[in-house]
Amino acid sequence: MATFTLTVNGKPRTVEASDPDMPLLWALRDRLGLTGTKYGCGAGACGACTVHLDGDAAQSCQVPIRAAAGRRVTTIEGLSDDGRHPCQLAWLEEDAAQCGYCQPGMIMEAAALLAKKRASAIEIEAALSGHICRCGTYGRIRRAVKTLTAAGAKS
Amino acid sequence: MTATRRLFLKTGAIGGAALVLRIPVLGQSGRPAGAVRFAPNQWLRVGPDGRVTAVIARSEMGQGVRTSLAMIVAEELDADWKTIAIEQASPSPDYARMSTGGSGSVEGGWKALRAAGAAAREMLVEAAARQWGVAASACRTDSGWVSHPPSGRTLGYGELAGAASALPVPKEPRLKDPKDFRLVGTRVRRVDGPAIVAGRAVYGLDTRLPGMLYAAVARCPVKGGKVVRFDAAGAKSVAGVRDVVEIEGAVAVLADDTFAAFAGRDALAAVFDDGGNGVVDTAELWRRIDAAAGKPGRATRTAGDAGTALAAAPTRLSATYRAPFQAHATLEPGNCTARVEAGACEIWAPTQSPQRVQREAAQRLGVEPDKVTVHVTLLGGGFGRRLDADYAVEAVAVARAAKRPVQVVWSRRDDFLQDRVHPAARVDVAGGLDASGRLVAWSHHATTYHLSMFGDFNPTEDPEGNPWGGYDFPYDTANLAVSWSEIESPVPTGAWRAVYYPANVFARECLLDELAARSGQDPLAMRLALLSGPSPFVLGHLRIDRAGLARVLRTAAEKAGWGAPTPGRPGRRSGRGLACNVYDGSTVIAQVADVSVGGKGDVAVHRVVTAVDCGRAVNPLGVEGQVESGVIWALSYALKGELTYEKGRVAETSFGAYPLLRLDEMPDLETVIVAGSGTPTGMGEMPVPCVAPAVANALFAATGRRVRRLPVRPSDLV
Repeated sequence: MATFTLTVNGKPRTVEASDPDMPLLWALRDRLGLTGTKYGCGAGACGACTVHLDGDAAQSCQVPIRAAAGRRVTTIEGLSDDGRHPCQLAWLEEDAAQCGYCQPGMIMEAAALLAKKRASAIEIEAALSGHICRCGTYGRIRRAVKTLTAAGAKS
Repeated sequence: MTATRRLFLKTGAIGGAALVLRIPVLGQSGRPAGAVRFAPNQWLRVGPDGRVTAVIARSEMGQGVRTSLAMIVAEELDADWKTIAIEQASPSPDYARMSTGGSGSVEGGWKALRAAGAAAREMLVEAAARQWGVAASACRTDSGWVSHPPSGRTLGYGELAGAASALPVPKEPRLKDPKDFRLVGTRVRRVDGPAIVAGRAVYGLDTRLPGMLYAAVARCPVKGGKVVRFDAAGAKSVAGVRDVVEIEGAVAVLADDTFAAFAGRDALAAVFDDGGNGVVDTAELWRRIDAAAGKPGRATRTAGDAGTALAAAPTRLSATYRAPFQAHATLEPGNCTARVEAGACEIWAPTQSPQRVQREAAQRLGVEPDKVTVHVTLLGGGFGRRLDADYAVEAVAVARAAKRPVQVVWSRRDDFLQDRVHPAARVDVAGGLDASGRLVAWSHHATTYHLSMFGDFNPTEDPEGNPWGGYDFPYDTANLAVSWSEIESPVPTGAWRAVYYPANVFARECLLDELAARSGQDPLAMRLALLSGPSPFVLGHLRIDRAGLARVLRTAAEKAGWGAPTPGRPGRRSGRGLACNVYDGSTVIAQVADVSVGGKGDVAVHRVVTAVDCGRAVNPLGVEGQVESGVIWALSYALKGELTYEKGRVAETSFGAYPLLRLDEMPDLETVIVAGSGTPTGMGEMPVPCVAPAVANALFAATGRRVRRLPVRPSDLV
């Protein structure tokens, strides 16, 4: 059993992992109880497990825990204190979610791009095209992204 | 699927009790008013603080049912929507129908939930009127308050909870005149939205119990097969693995986390006995369909003499349409959490069918159903897959063997391999026109696999009502022959969003388009002429609203610019097509697609316009969402989806091999809800069936090539 230390949502956390190759996804979900990060495919093909790793969007099913050690991880639970991050508000405004399972990953993807640089709607849509929504909420997500990028352009 | 089974899918119960209002058990205690909650029936509660809780007995899988059903209760109760709380029901004798399928939740709940809210409201008003010594008829209600306008007095629902609890429950409460609705018919955002965007929404896979282990199960990927050998020691040598347990035909590895469980399962190196179905591949599956299609099916609807009329028709066409096997691919993979202790069992499941889970788990454990408690979590997609109880029964078996709480997690690969797939279908259709271009004969023969999810194949089962989309042929014609061939499936099959409609509507609406083109008619005008007959016409228990169908056709066509040229795109050929359908004698829908095709046969769908009449839109924002969802679902199906088989196993076990539509491929979607003022009808499945034929007809307009098999292949267009 190996022990890894990383910063999760602003707090130092220690993870005991049976295997240093255990993906960050399972460390978050099964070891730290942060179930907002979702398992969809385990192969980096759906985006449901997207978190921020040192501020960049990363698919947590593709990051071994040993590679996350010492780094800063933000999950959907830590995106805001009150669930009122601009992305979360834009998603709510458009009533974007259906079953909602893919939405934390989509929100984390969009939030990283908006924070990093003033990404355009086209850039964000391109990144979100790496995500799967089986309910097909893409139209409303597109509208939420347009609202966010228009608001950013004005500020 | 028989009419009875179709009813089962829709309501989840055969027969089924009507709403039973119970004598209140609270409020008789002598406690002061304000300390008592008011629970006049199983659908709602009013707390002493006035907060209303709506109890939802259908599963939330994205269709918005926790919002729309709560809106119906809140409307009649005049509750304060801003503070409403939602509670998910568990199976109990209070709930006759909990199965969520067949797009029946809102239609099925409409009367009972209105009555439940209205009864509670009437009791609260009566309690206030007695306290004030005024006539109940002089009181009003609004947003959780009763008022008496002549005297200006008001009381909150919470303050009245105790007194209301002591009153008899009215048997026939007075319902609102729909023109007085304040909430139903407005655009309401889903109640689970804030929890979803904050990552707090709890799906099945998010269940966490003290002492729980994670489990991965090695199961044979062939129907009827089983595990015969495995390396338990190998699995136990994987760090984090706690135990290996055998259940009927399969083996579970229990571990401290999901990753270790998956690694331990790999280390089992399980060897399977495939049984007799291990020889089946895609070609064989189609051969069986073709063999059955070559023989006469069982006639389910007959008018006149279609054979003779077809032979005599001056214009006639026949064609064979094919739709392949499809996966559900819910984004939340299969999973279930269970605890079995001292002859009792608790289950946390993302299920569309909690009563079935309860019943089958009890059977497996050999206990009475009331010893099994089922907690229904949110579902990360359902689409029919979660009407089965296989994954829950398996988890119960693992938890019993493990003697501790267990969460069985399916990998994405497991989820593909163990899906209850949408079976391939072949539909043979023929139509004949008279000299004036009028449809005088139609024959429709569908051949597909039995849905094993609903029980063993029974060749003598009554085929009434089948095939959906063929049996309920909505157009007026003098000679009609509809028949159905169902064969036993060597692969596990099940309900899939819209079930039999997609393949049959594809064939029907495409052949009509072919006949229109052959006879030089406009496809819209031709359909409208065929819908001018008696409306509605009654077919068994179905009412086919031809006039309503014609109305949504005209609406969609007008919105889409039918008759005007499609926008030109350099280097691409453009086209527009339409299709329409009546779903199960209820919701009527028409869709128009704009497409373009590149030089290599690459297809782009640019725009889909939908017009729909669902009786009454309880939540128009939700109705539009279901249209958007259904169109994207159907485009994945029409353009991409296809499962194949090798050695009895699904060959596509990843999102790479079974691609789904992505955000950058989605067309512009426009939806018109044609205002209805009756009983609301379903919306979950209804937007799916017309998309593929509308796209195929648009592809013909663009290229002159007919698409008669799905998914659309570029090679079919060049």
